Amino acid sequence: MQKIIYLLLISVFVIGCKSDNKKETENELTVYTHRHYESDQELFKRFEEESGIKLNIVNASADELIQKMNLEGEQSPADVLITVDAGRLYRAKSQGLLQSFSSKLVDSIVPNYLKDEDGQWVGLTKRARVVAYAKDRVDSTQLSTYADLATEKWDNKILVRSSSNIYNQSLLASIIANQGEEFAEEWAQGIVENMARAPKGNDRDQVKAVANNEGDLAIVNTYYIGKLLNSEDSSEVEAGKSVNIFFPNQETTGTHINVSGIGVAKYSPNKEAAIQFIEFLLQEEAQNIFAGSNFEYPVNPNVEPAEILKSWGDFKEDNLSLNKLGEYNKEAVIIFDKAGWK
Amino acid sequence: MNLKNRFFKLKRDLNRWSLLLLLILGIVSVPILTIGFKLFGGPGESWNHIVDYVLFDYLKNSFLLALFCSVIVILFGVTTAWLVSRFEFPFRKQLEWLLILPLSVPAYIMAYAYAGVFGYSGLFSKLMEFFGNGDFRIEVMNIYGLSLILSISLFPYVYVSSRTFFLAQATNLLEASRMLGISEFKSFFKLIFPLARPAILAGLVLVLMEVLNDYGAASYYGVSTFTTGIFRSWFSLGEPETAIYLSAILLLIVFGLILFEKWQRRHLNFTAAKTSKQNYNSRIKPKKANQVWFSVICFVPVFLGFVLPVIQLLIWLKQTFASVWTVEFISVTLESFGIAFLTASITVLFALLLLFFTKWNKIELLKSSSKLGVLGYAIPGIIIAIGVLIPSLYLDKWLIEKNITSKLILNATLIALVYAYVVRFLAVAYQPLESSSLKIDRSLSDSSKVLGKGNFKTFFKIEFPLIRVGMLSAFILVFIDILKELPLTLIMKPYDVNTLAVKAFEYASDEMVSSAALPSLLIILTALIPAIFLNKLLLKNASNS
Repeated sequence: MQKIIYLLLISVFVIGCKSDNKKETENELTVYTHRHYESDQELFKRFEEESGIKLNIVNASADELIQKMNLEGEQSPADVLITVDAGRLYRAKSQGLLQSFSSKLVDSIVPNYLKDEDGQWVGLTKRARVVAYAKDRVDSTQLSTYADLATEKWDNKILVRSSSNIYNQSLLASIIANQGEEFAEEWAQGIVENMARAPKGNDRDQVKAVANNEGDLAIVNTYYIGKLLNSEDSSEVEAGKSVNIFFPNQETTGTHINVSGIGVAKYSPNKEAAIQFIEFLLQEEAQNIFAGSNFEYPVNPNVEPAEILKSWGDFKEDNLSLNKLGEYNKEAVIIFDKAGWK
Repeated sequence: MNLKNRFFKLKRDLNRWSLLLLLILGIVSVPILTIGFKLFGGPGESWNHIVDYVLFDYLKNSFLLALFCSVIVILFGVTTAWLVSRFEFPFRKQLEWLLILPLSVPAYIMAYAYAGVFGYSGLFSKLMEFFGNGDFRIEVMNIYGLSLILSISLFPYVYVSSRTFFLAQATNLLEASRMLGISEFKSFFKLIFPLARPAILAGLVLVLMEVLNDYGAASYYGVSTFTTGIFRSWFSLGEPETAIYLSAILLLIVFGLILFEKWQRRHLNFTAAKTSKQNYNSRIKPKKANQVWFSVICFVPVFLGFVLPVIQLLIWLKQTFASVWTVEFISVTLESFGIAFLTASITVLFALLLLFFTKWNKIELLKSSSKLGVLGYAIPGIIIAIGVLIPSLYLDKWLIEKNITSKLILNATLIALVYAYVVRFLAVAYQPLESSSLKIDRSLSDSSKVLGKGNFKTFFKIEFPLIRVGMLSAFILVFIDILKELPLTLIMKPYDVNTLAVKAFEYASDEMVSSAALPSLLIILTALIPAIFLNKLLLKNASNS
């Protein structure tokens, strides 16, 4: 019993030490973020050092953070919200959780289609949803558009993850926006018929399945290929090497892209610092870190993407306003359900 | 009965325990009731779509999952518990606590590890290559694989609750049945299994609650269950109302399960089995050959639920240790340990209060509604988080309005986090306590009261020593659960507190599963501490009494 009481006291002490520095000062910025990459930790540290502003990081999924901001209302300590897709920023905006901000620097760096038309949020990095095809089995001239993937040609060849995944939802939302709901429904149906197996696993698993001949084409985000090729696990590197990247829709609307982005919270207690933080993230130093360690495409045009990404060459991006991804998100999910895309 | 009579009856039965019970019940059920009230708002606009297209699938998969898991869990849990408490065989002592360990591996990490073991160029295919059959693969990423994985990570609940029961079970019953020439095997089915039914069911209810609200493993394996549906309606459709509606249905199902468990033992008076002297030397020594078999049987679930995933994690650790390790992990481990220890103690205390206040209170209605307090375990963590956030923010805002405080003092502090944990894990502490208190011969406490001792004195002198074993089990289970807990922790934790589960999640959700090996192994190591330490205590206590 005595031992237990000692342990209890020690526990209280350890936790007590950690949580007594809760005083909110002028020089603090609370970041609600869905991103949890190592590169971000590095960035946050550098920002703290350069600006002298202390960052409070709340790390959870964007939906939970949005819900939290909703509940907190005016008392919300959040200064900025970072998400890994544009749809969630749209959602936060439409629930009145963000506010407009203006920064000449931001305007000069980020092209219009990568930010909100009302200036409530801005993209930080880009990722493209592409086709990874088996080098040894697929002739790249056979590939053309996303629509083509739904044709009979690829029966039993396609690997893609669950439709609960936001990247799939955004892709379908872009198809709805570009080609209409009816077309999107047919497309989803076609893909389901062409699936080599029921959707499971994550993007990396789809590439591994291609490497092991379960199918020929995987629909994945670009940075996962970069991560596979740089993995410590040799079987992952091999999987990454077994595929090539194809950018769909080059002759038509361009390849579907999404952004990881940031918005200023409506009730931000420290808006100035929030803008300072956003500007920091968009400048070359930070953008280089985004590009280098996480294999995302920087939004800052002065910053080069990582070598691997460069080796895939330039591509035409779909310039669809990213707000549309949010607007059609729900329709996309409903179409997925109807098509039986698990 | 007319209203007046009822009132008098109420007045007669009302004692201070009723009020205290009401208080405890109030504290723990505020979040659950908050969610309940949300129901009156109705589901979101996509409800009809869900009913039309996906609800059937959710129900079917969840039902199958629950069914498969029940079978496997009982098979593993009860068999091993019976063997280690009735027989003597090599490594029995070690196996006794090894069998708790699978619980320390978070289910979603287990899912990743199994996908790794049975995946392309995984351990299994290497083994098959060695035997010259390299193309042979077992696909685990489906509902059967998921059932197996959830079962082996959760069977310890049933193991612990049935072992607690077997250990305290009067051996004289078994002696008698043996003297009558009935074989050990037969008396297990005829005597022990029926007697242990409430204990087994208590463990099973915990397993099913956990199975029903698993999200990570199910979504990775591509199985759409009720809980993946809850997440989908919230995250993908953007309708928290629909998510809450779905969880309320889930809650009703679980409440039904609990009521069923209570109902099926309505006529049985389990206090009859007297806790007479427990003689530890009475373990049977089977034949040598059988002894080996018993060891092997008990080792199988340990291997599947602990050794195999840990081997996979160690392989990953070797690959990633250099890039992942920082000194920070030491302090994160300490924090995780501290939070889990503190919260587990509080949770066990709450469970004790709930259990005994219920017992001492005389109002029937309150007695039966005390189960409301343990429903938190069936609700996905993020929904609990909403249930806690709404009232705590309300209170916070009220305090600010009244100028008592200037900022949020509950939200994003340890108070709210610990509170949420207690609400979520109360069931885990309550079930083993309840099943061990059921075995206390009622005549003991009754005689103490006849002799003029109050409830409190009786509790400390009579009941407390007898349920100590159950308390320790409860503590270990909650401790391990909190170490693994994720969704609640993510949204409720103070900025500067980090836990190992959060660290593991950060890597895993970034599809860097192999980098999650370090924090996962640290979770397992930390969980080992109380599991071993308290198991020793448990045995010492049991042999003293």
